[in-house]
Amino acid sequence: MFLDSLKSAFLLLISFDHELFEIVGVSLNVSFFSTLAAAIFGLPLGFVVAFHRFRGKRFTLTCLNTLLALPTVVIGLVVYSVISRRGVLGPLELLYTQKAIIIGQVILIIPLITTLTIAAVSKIDDRYRNTALTLGANRRQMAWVIFREARYGVVAAIIAAFGRVIAEVGISMMLGGNAKGFTRTMTTAMALEYDKGEFVLAVALGIVLMAFAFAINLVFHVFQGRIKSDAV
Amino acid sequence: MLYELQKLKKQFGQRTVLDISALSFAARKVYALIGPNGAGKTTLLNHLGFLDQPTSGIVKFHNKSISYDHGHLVHLRRRVVLVDQTPILFSGTVWKNVEFGLRVRGVPRKERAIKISAALERVGMSDFAQTDSHGLSGGEVKRVALARALVLEPEVLLCDEPTANVDQQNQEVILKILEHANSMQNTSIIFSTHYLSQSRRLAHQTVLLQNGSVSFEENENTFDVVIREERAGWRRISLAAAENVSLGEVESFRLEEGPARIYLNPGKIILSAPEAARHSQTACQTGIVQRISIENNAVRLVVDMGVALHVVMSISRYRDQPPLVGQHVGVEIPEKAVVVASNHVP
Repeated sequence: MFLDSLKSAFLLLISFDHELFEIVGVSLNVSFFSTLAAAIFGLPLGFVVAFHRFRGKRFTLTCLNTLLALPTVVIGLVVYSVISRRGVLGPLELLYTQKAIIIGQVILIIPLITTLTIAAVSKIDDRYRNTALTLGANRRQMAWVIFREARYGVVAAIIAAFGRVIAEVGISMMLGGNAKGFTRTMTTAMALEYDKGEFVLAVALGIVLMAFAFAINLVFHVFQGRIKSDAV
Repeated sequence: MLYELQKLKKQFGQRTVLDISALSFAARKVYALIGPNGAGKTTLLNHLGFLDQPTSGIVKFHNKSISYDHGHLVHLRRRVVLVDQTPILFSGTVWKNVEFGLRVRGVPRKERAIKISAALERVGMSDFAQTDSHGLSGGEVKRVALARALVLEPEVLLCDEPTANVDQQNQEVILKILEHANSMQNTSIIFSTHYLSQSRRLAHQTVLLQNGSVSFEENENTFDVVIREERAGWRRISLAAAENVSLGEVESFRLEEGPARIYLNPGKIILSAPEAARHSQTACQTGIVQRISIENNAVRLVVDMGVALHVVMSISRYRDQPPLVGQHVGVEIPEKAVVVASNHVP
């Protein structure tokens, strides 16, 4: 069955199947914007938590670590209750749109990006901080130094978050509704094909998903290599 | 005064790591902080670099008390730079590292390039400008760290053990860089070291730290004295408590007049026959040998000059001219034997 799936995946790709590329496009679009939004919130939050000593820091870390185990179904239910017609944000008519999926996925990966950023920044030698300060840096400039030194860890956090959302199915299904051409992602399409008993096509889609994930990681890897040789 | 510390205390939990009742540093001078590991040298340097806040007490910089709000500290830190004992270089090239402080100060690109080139040349690292900073040896890292600090032309340069873990060749280069910064740019330098030889070579004054405090204990050959110029280029050193008791005259322009606490290095003091002392132009004092003992392949003598003065000489030198217990000897104190521990005499 695997060889058949591999053959189907290859045929799907070389045939430039319109529906396939539509599904891949939705997946990438949703994953990109959810990762971007989560990074905008999660990276500074991770920095602040890692940098500052405050009361309840340990508790905050425990909460963030707990949120890593948050099931997608729970997020789906909570967001559904907020954006459904009777919900607080009902009038915005977000349900069964790509925006709804993005909202759910952002909630899913903010704890991931935050905790991995905390881990990356905490590992940075204290001397970088003191060196930047004694050379006259203000807080913003010093934070930039730390960010630069922690960049591999930070990029790894973003890669992990992207991988998490592109492979996620619960939120996409519950909040997106798997509408063909609008909210059908690779994972929801796979689930649909499985329901229909089209195992070969389902696995083929899985192979396509892995191929894209590999290509994106390759891009990140090249990016990491480039920033390695960058200046201060 | 450049710095004045008053009742400065730093505690980590229950542990007091710094407890200084009074200490001051003058501008454009070189100070050496000496003391054993854990004496508080690094903590003191961090306070002088405004990187640490005391638990209690006052730090004054140019006679103004320091307020520890961030904006004020950034302004102060741009006048004082600390070079760590094991400096860390940022990722990137040597050039970019040296450029960092200039960039955060908003120095224009062209001016930056000129200053960086000059700084790298001064530390002998011009050929490494485009080298990745993480590929340098320990000595090279220290030199780049010094260039990174000196390019900013700081008013005060603080160095935590600048020659620690560095080979002899790099040690010499580093010491020359510090000498040059003080003599040519009037940079005030405060550095910590374990080596008395370095403090004697570079420092106008030495601060002895022990258990977080400036040491005013009665150590061997440590005296509270008054230094006076009696003739051009010569300083008479007399005990502060009894000015009629003189330790001798020292040929020196370096020693400042006034009260001081000094340490006389027992290995550098010269003993001679009393007849030679009488005919000597150095007007050295005489004393009576009280005790002679052997330690670590050297001979230790205690000479009574009104105070007990310890003198150490090699066994071979002692064999050439062996003073005996009860015998009068001439005592000559060369400038290199005198380490000024502090101008504060309690």
